[in-house]
Amino acid sequence: MSQRSERRGIHVDQSELLCKKGCGYYGNAAWQGLCSKCWREEYQRARQKQIQEDWELAEKLQREEDAAYASSHVPPSQSSLTPFSKFEEKKTNEKTRKVTTVKKFFSPSSRSNTKKESHEAKSHSPSFARRSSVETDQVSREFVDFLRSLKPGREIHKQSRAFVESMGNKKDLGADELSECVQDFYQNMSDRLLTHFKGSSEKVERVMDQVEKYIMTRLYKSMFCPETTDDEKKDLSTQHRIRALHWVTIQMLCVPVDEEIPEAADSVVKAITDIIEMDSKRVPRDKLACITSCSKHIFNAIMVTKKEPASADDFLPTLIYIVLKANPPRLQSNIQYITRFCNPSRLMSGEDGYYFTNLCCAVAFIEKLDAHSLNLSVEDFERYMCGGSGSGDESPCRRSEPPSQWLLEPLSALQDRQQRVLEEAQDLQIEIQRWQESVSREVQDIISKYPLEIKRQAAHAIDCENEENDRLPPPLQPQVFTT
Amino acid sequence: MAAGGGAAATSAHRTFSFKVVLLGEGCVGKTSLVLRYCENKFNDKHITTLQASFLTKKLNITGKRVNLAIWDTAGQERFHALGPIYYRDSNGAVLVYDVTDEDSFQKVKNWVKELRKMLGNEICLCIVGNKVDLEKERHVSVEDAEAYAESVGAKHYHTSAKLNKGIEELFLDLCKRMMETAQVDERSKGNGTSHASTGRRGVQIIDDEPQAAMPAGGCCSSG
Ligand SMILES: Nc1nc2c(ncn2[C@@H]2O[C@H](COP(=O)(O)OP(=O)(O)OP(=O)(O)O)[C@@H](O)[C@H]2O)c(=O)[nH]1
Ligand SMILES: [Mg+2]
Ligand SMILES: [Zn+2]
Repeated sequence: MSQRSERRGIHVDQSELLCKKGCGYYGNAAWQGLCSKCWREEYQRARQKQIQEDWELAEKLQREEDAAYASSHVPPSQSSLTPFSKFEEKKTNEKTRKVTTVKKFFSPSSRSNTKKESHEAKSHSPSFARRSSVETDQVSREFVDFLRSLKPGREIHKQSRAFVESMGNKKDLGADELSECVQDFYQNMSDRLLTHFKGSSEKVERVMDQVEKYIMTRLYKSMFCPETTDDEKKDLSTQHRIRALHWVTIQMLCVPVDEEIPEAADSVVKAITDIIEMDSKRVPRDKLACITSCSKHIFNAIMVTKKEPASADDFLPTLIYIVLKANPPRLQSNIQYITRFCNPSRLMSGEDGYYFTNLCCAVAFIEKLDAHSLNLSVEDFERYMCGGSGSGDESPCRRSEPPSQWLLEPLSALQDRQQRVLEEAQDLQIEIQRWQESVSREVQDIISKYPLEIKRQAAHAIDCENEENDRLPPPLQPQVFTT
Repeated sequence: MAAGGGAAATSAHRTFSFKVVLLGEGCVGKTSLVLRYCENKFNDKHITTLQASFLTKKLNITGKRVNLAIWDTAGQERFHALGPIYYRDSNGAVLVYDVTDEDSFQKVKNWVKELRKMLGNEICLCIVGNKVDLEKERHVSVEDAEAYAESVGAKHYHTSAKLNKGIEELFLDLCKRMMETAQVDERSKGNGTSHASTGRRGVQIIDDEPQAAMPAGGCCSSG
């Protein structure tokens, strides 16, 4: 609590404002308490180090990958009838059938596969590796580790890598086309794996999960909320919409959760945290996992309250409530991203898919929500919508309920943090402005204080300092010598 | 890919994955039905299941593996408009009414219209009159219900979640019909792959079949 009230304070002790390096200048929280000069030095050093490390790691990875495959795999020529080489045959057949979709992605390997492709991959890899961050490399390493135990591992890896690289040239495609590309890739890969694993869909799923992780970690930056879409606009409008609905209560939605029960309130908080967390994940399946985890907490909250298993009519309103409370960042972008790039079998019939569908329902409900959906009169609804504060205390606003303190705490902590960031940004701006002003003032001062005097002093000084002047012999006079 | 009613590549190893939505008015016994089917429990105070909104059941039907996913849907009136989001990509629908409640039967009729309009004949419909243990209070006549079902190409079943009557038959029958549909579908469309690709979008509503250009004759049918 005390920590929080401290954070709320706008102004802090003078000493806290000084640069942490003790150089005497003012520091700034945005620069981790350092002054601009010290910060720049620190940052540059760290950055340089990071670049170096990334690079080394990438190179090491490259070597590891190559070594791993060289050691754990029979050369393809040797046992020409391994199931995976059948893939190759089959793939060529397939290719002739589905020319349009397949060709683009598998053509390099479907011909003289091994040689040509490994060359290509190598020639691409330096720039590729440099781009990747530590996280990406971590994922990459896990991918290689995972594939090591699989016979077609090398081929899967190659295909995946070639695909990621091919997508690098397709950045200006529309979102639907990008989705189409990725989905085609999943489709082809899993079809072939099904043949390889003799139809064990569990195994295929497991591999496909890893493939998705590898690919989407790398493609995330260009595929999440791409500029060609209006995802961002939708995000904003949803965010505004949710903010405008801040007055909606648990009773209006008929949510079967009693937040006076600590465990239920606790589950609500966890559900909110999970749904907010979704935005921080890169892999569609990881995002889905956040939704699933959120849903499980919701079920728990319902179970604790109702003491019976939740039905969809319990679950959906609660999820709506959670979404309204959390106002998850970039909600629409996240939904679109999952829809476009998630492995489809997860979305269609799996458990994750069920929760995801409910989230889509919740968002659709929130967008369309009207007086009728909340059992309110049109007048009441309008009144809440425009202001809501007019009815202030009489509105059964959640803030007036003591139990929701459980929920408000993390929320207000978040609010605090946001507030703080805003304040700091403002402070920084003010500081920059002040600094600019003070610099120009100093310059002005100096100019006005010592305009021409400097020169005069300097000229004067030359004479003054020449103390030995008197002792010098008198200047020579021109003399006339006669002969 | 075991998705969207599609199945694994070769028929010998295939696993069917079906999505079935559960529709019906509040209190007709949807939750009771699935809990009875998947957990064999009814109004049990000691139910350990956390939720009854998404349940799965693995079946083996004449040597073929079937993964059944049963999706409960929010049935309250205010959620009605969300129906299409729930039932898109589903292979079957179980429409439940309470035999003692005429209104709930009327609701089923509305659902049928909507489902047929949105999904055509791709979806297998089951109309289920639940709570037949309350025969004395019946308000929906057996003849009417069965005649109606037949007129819309649906099958009709009578169940009691309380007495565990008719439920196994209902789902087994439904699975068999969905398997047939999936196989017919594959034969006419070529293969499971192309089928899955037309229906693989989890969220976007598919207005028609843009992939219709996909060449016929696929890898599975050759095997
Ligand atoms: N007698 C009798 N009662 C039943 C039967 N099935 C369900 N019920 C009762 O009907 C009530 C409603 O059942 P639910 O399973 O909760 O109904 P629901 O369709 O899931 O309702 P919502 O979740 O509100 O949409 C409960 O009290 C059940 O005990 C049945 O076959 N016979
Ligand atoms: Mg229910
Ligand atoms: Zn400093």
